[in-house]
Amino acid sequence: MATQTKAAPQTTDRELWSELMDFYIEEAWILDERRFHDWLDLFTEDAFYFMPRRKNVYRRDLAKEFSGPGDLALMEEHKTDLQMRVARLDTGMAWAEDPPSRTRHLVGNLAIQSVDGDEVHCKTAFIAHKSHLETDQDLYTGARHDILRRVDGQWKIARRTVLIDANVLLSKNLSIFL
Amino acid sequence: MVATKKYSIIDTETGALDRRIFVDEAIYREELEKIFGRAWQMIGHVSLVPNRNDFFHTYMGEDPVILTRDNNGQLHAFLNMCRHRGNRIVRADEGNSKNFMCTYHGWTFSNDGRLEHVPGVSEAYYDALAMDELSLIEAKVDTYAGIVFATWDHEAPSLEAYLGDARWYLDVSFNRRDGGTIAYGPQKWLEPCNWKTPVDNCSDNYHVPVTHLSSMLAKNKLIGTPRTTQQEMATSIDRRHLFVNGHSLTFAEVDEKTPRAGHGMTAANRHLFEAYQLDTLPEVERRLGSKRARGMQLNNHSLFPNGVLGFRLALPRGPLMTEFWHFAIVDKDAPEDIQGYLRWGLGGNNGVAGLFEQDDIDNWRQVSLSATSPLARKYSQWLSMGRGHTTDNHPEYVGHVSERYISESNQRNFYTRWEEFMNADSWADISIEPIAADYQGSATLNS
Ligand code: FES
Ligand SMILES: [Fe+2]
Repeated sequence: MATQTKAAPQTTDRELWSELMDFYIEEAWILDERRFHDWLDLFTEDAFYFMPRRKNVYRRDLAKEFSGPGDLALMEEHKTDLQMRVARLDTGMAWAEDPPSRTRHLVGNLAIQSVDGDEVHCKTAFIAHKSHLETDQDLYTGARHDILRRVDGQWKIARRTVLIDANVLLSKNLSIFL
Repeated sequence: MVATKKYSIIDTETGALDRRIFVDEAIYREELEKIFGRAWQMIGHVSLVPNRNDFFHTYMGEDPVILTRDNNGQLHAFLNMCRHRGNRIVRADEGNSKNFMCTYHGWTFSNDGRLEHVPGVSEAYYDALAMDELSLIEAKVDTYAGIVFATWDHEAPSLEAYLGDARWYLDVSFNRRDGGTIAYGPQKWLEPCNWKTPVDNCSDNYHVPVTHLSSMLAKNKLIGTPRTTQQEMATSIDRRHLFVNGHSLTFAEVDEKTPRAGHGMTAANRHLFEAYQLDTLPEVERRLGSKRARGMQLNNHSLFPNGVLGFRLALPRGPLMTEFWHFAIVDKDAPEDIQGYLRWGLGGNNGVAGLFEQDDIDNWRQVSLSATSPLARKYSQWLSMGRGHTTDNHPEYVGHVSERYISESNQRNFYTRWEEFMNADSWADISIEPIAADYQGSATLNS
């Protein structure tokens, strides 16, 4: 599990850092402007989007805090699955998102953990707010541990692990992308 | 017998249902006592506490419960309440511990419930504390196909009697393999609706082609999942809807090669599911007999009071709030790839981010909420579908069997069962239908 917090970013490459930060800012605008097909284009064909469950455990059991591979997660999506979610929205009958949520994603605290050829391992923190129908509100905070890959000069998400800061989700559903 | 009938909320002749039961605080409080204080409820699974001294934290109604496997391997379910002042003695979802120390004053209970240690018992209590009368409050526990059930009411009938012939149908999903089942999870989230609405919805096949059309279309387009139309559901005669001993079930008559658990099945992996079905057929037939092994598939269902589609729970959190727990339950001996697809499919369809589940909650909430209006409350819910089109004497199937897959007879029966629990002074006033189905094969309640 990519949950261990490494100290400072292992790179001092400010240029790379800015490039990646631009990527995340662009992604946030894409999501909040509901350009979901553009969002899908940010993922590699072999992308994997994973959101484990987060258990409430004693300190001595922290190694088991996040559900691992082979266990039930909150989301485990290959690109087809993400496409399925977007295709659903396009039908105009995905009632959880029709009328659609008003979302705001704030992404920061970018730390580059390693650079390996065309791939970068990095993590960010996010706050995402969802306003739905008349008065429903959800607030999600968490971390994204990503592997970004440079494909034809563009950064793409090859793997995303969303570590959400909640045990019981205080939401009626998880209908937005984090 | 019941002298005066306090609750009369469903008119089974017309299907009119009194909406107050979804919002009234006093009714809700009484449900916690008369339903959740009495009925057998699913609380966990043996695979969540596989080792000695494992514990898993769960709920019965609003009450926090610790499921333990003690040092001798015995299962217990305790109210998570220190017998001193009432602090919770466990604060984690799960773990492994021989005893539980209360973080307030340090009373310590063993995982078989005994009060083992009280700080200052000689000095502060002058050795006058009757420690052996201060064990944890314990529920009665039993298991079905690995799923752990518990009840607070020691007068309750056995779990076998409580499930009754619902088990004949449930076995088709949960009692297939010698190795039993394994449960993964739960996902947990809050649904702002009354707990009864998602339970009632389990027999509402009527909503599927409308509420979930977008997901069926998207799945059909991208992973080749066949979609069901309203017309098919309304007219099919090989799918059934029935109520037995308080529990609501729907099932389909299928051929022997149809995979029985279809969540996570795609056009690309369908052959793996079909191979799994055919490979395991001899074992399943030995366990369940040929009718159930070769010809039946369990579909949406609920267990009274709050079990929703398999091992999933609608936990009451006030009249207008439900904490939902989603577990994925699969055959323990299934190959890893099949287990993976099922786990992914169950969550991907019915979990908090599930394609299907997402679209349910606003319906359920608004159905519950409409009852907050004195104006709206004057107009009942209208559960009249399929009246007069059920039989109690079906030649093949035990229970109150509907002619069609789409019907509200299970809902009428569910609210009638609710009345029965709410009007009863004790278990003596609650009916249990005798076991009448033909249980061919070797499978029993827990083997
Ligand atoms: S409340 Fe538990 S020791 Fe006092
Ligand atoms: Fe539904």
